[in-house]
Amino acid sequence: MSRPASTSFFSLRRAFIIAQSTVTQLVRMKVFYFLAPIALLFLGLQFFDAFWYEGPEALMPEQELRMHKNLCLGTMMLFTSLFAIVSTALLIPGDIEDRTLYTILCKPVPRLDYLVGKLFGVIAVIFIAMLVMDLLLVATLHYRTEAKLADMTEYMTRLGYPEREVKAGRAEIAAHGPTLVLQFGVLAHFLKACVIAAVALLISTFSTSTLFTIATSVMIWIIGAFQSIARDGLFSDPALGGEPNLAERIVGTLISLVFPDFQLFEAISDAAARAENVLPADMAQLAGLSAVYVGIYVVLSWFVFSDKEF
Amino acid sequence: MSDVAAVEVTNLVKDFKGPFRGKMVHAVKDVSLSIAPGEVYGLIGPNGSGKSTTMKAVLGLVAPTSGTCSIFGKDSSKVDSRSEVGFLPENPYFYKHLTAAETVRFYGRLCGMRGRALKDRIEEMLELVGLQDARDRRLKGFSKGMLQRIGLAQALVQDPRLVVLDEPTAGVDPTGSREIRDLILELKTRGVTVFLCSHLLEQVQEICDRVGIIHHGVLVNEGSLDDLISLEDKTELILGNPSPDLMEQIRSLVDVTHGAELVSEGRARTTLESLFLKETQGQRTGSTQILRARKSQKRATK
Repeated sequence: MSRPASTSFFSLRRAFIIAQSTVTQLVRMKVFYFLAPIALLFLGLQFFDAFWYEGPEALMPEQELRMHKNLCLGTMMLFTSLFAIVSTALLIPGDIEDRTLYTILCKPVPRLDYLVGKLFGVIAVIFIAMLVMDLLLVATLHYRTEAKLADMTEYMTRLGYPEREVKAGRAEIAAHGPTLVLQFGVLAHFLKACVIAAVALLISTFSTSTLFTIATSVMIWIIGAFQSIARDGLFSDPALGGEPNLAERIVGTLISLVFPDFQLFEAISDAAARAENVLPADMAQLAGLSAVYVGIYVVLSWFVFSDKEF
Repeated sequence: MSDVAAVEVTNLVKDFKGPFRGKMVHAVKDVSLSIAPGEVYGLIGPNGSGKSTTMKAVLGLVAPTSGTCSIFGKDSSKVDSRSEVGFLPENPYFYKHLTAAETVRFYGRLCGMRGRALKDRIEEMLELVGLQDARDRRLKGFSKGMLQRIGLAQALVQDPRLVVLDEPTAGVDPTGSREIRDLILELKTRGVTVFLCSHLLEQVQEICDRVGIIHHGVLVNEGSLDDLISLEDKTELILGNPSPDLMEQIRSLVDVTHGAELVSEGRARTTLESLFLKETQGQRTGSTQILRARKSQKRATK
């Protein structure tokens, strides 16, 4: 056998091999079984239709659809965020504890490849889960929107509304159906889960236990969700026209660097649920920001992990 | 053969910080050793003597406090040095969700192997360690001995020039232990350098060319096995079917020879391991025997 060439600093192929193994591991751990109750929930939402539609407190069709989207997007966010934390927290400490990592790092595998591979693996599983949930959301929402459109058309025609108004009413309902904006909302949650996984990856490189990794990651997730509100409340109240001074600005920037601002992701998701206009440029900006966050956390993880002794 | 040492450890010192900034633990103190290509080197010592730390430093899993380690001239801390190393840790665990074949494939791919070459190598390795029948079984159902075998298969998958084995026969039954020993000897004949740590001194004695004894982090003795264990002033004589007359003559001769002394006399003994292997022969599907038979057959057809 010929002697091997020198090992490159980073190899996408090796990272892909580790990612592939991570996907297999998570799939064989039967993580996708969690999708079954989620599917039941999404399908079950259909049966709430009659309950909300009847009676004096009946909701408008678009309100119903918004509620449907809110519930589904919320479930997707909760599942993917928790999954990102738990799976990342389990994988690396697990490899260290059972010494699988020894045999991997004793092959020509740079530590960066290992970290990136693990992260890619978790992200790939989140992507598959997100895709399945998204398909379910689109299917159920489509079914429900079509039903609402038929009801509304029939109702307005019966009451003799002019065709122009029927058309406007239909357009309003259709905007709450499975649109591109809704996909932006789903994508925002996916990006958020990627950032959370990268945070958990960083913590797992110096953490001594899975429990610590999970607890700290959840804490960062919560801080990230409320940090913009906290910053506004602590430093200055923009509602009162207050401008942050230099020190406040520096502290604010540091906080937003350490703790990702998840409010930005929520803003897109909320807009998607309300069927408001989300510009592709905004989405691209959020994707770019997520890539920066993930990149920073991976580099920090690598700094910690490259000097780690086993 | 290359002049570069397979393993070169120079003045290796490794200290670990105690908990809560407590006392420093000096795990390895100024250890230097050199393993020539093709040599089987055994590092022995009691628990906590620094064997595993030395091994981990050679493999780049721990960074030396001072001193250097290199593999075939390449700095151990660099990833490049691991291209030609196969490592079997003590009590190895692998991904339990993978099958035996998938495990070897995974490690082979990490070493840059692919395609037909990898496929053939997987089969070759599984045959070598006698796990062909378990190739599609997941590792979670494997016994300790089987895990050790799959560990050897992954260690050898990229055909490394150096194999590092930490307690390679821990938890393996005597027959399996013998097979692993035979495998190490086979590696030696193929020119592979073997660096092993073991508590089983008899095994080390049987397979190693050179031995280092480490105690409290210090390499207290090192040399070729013959030099280390031969007793300069004593000679052993084992006779087959000696008659009582012959024995009497020998005793008389010793008595009249100035300075000579008969230290002990008795029946030569086999080892418990040899007895065990003899008694259990044929009661186990000897995968290694099958393998040897196949190899002989292949050689004959060539």
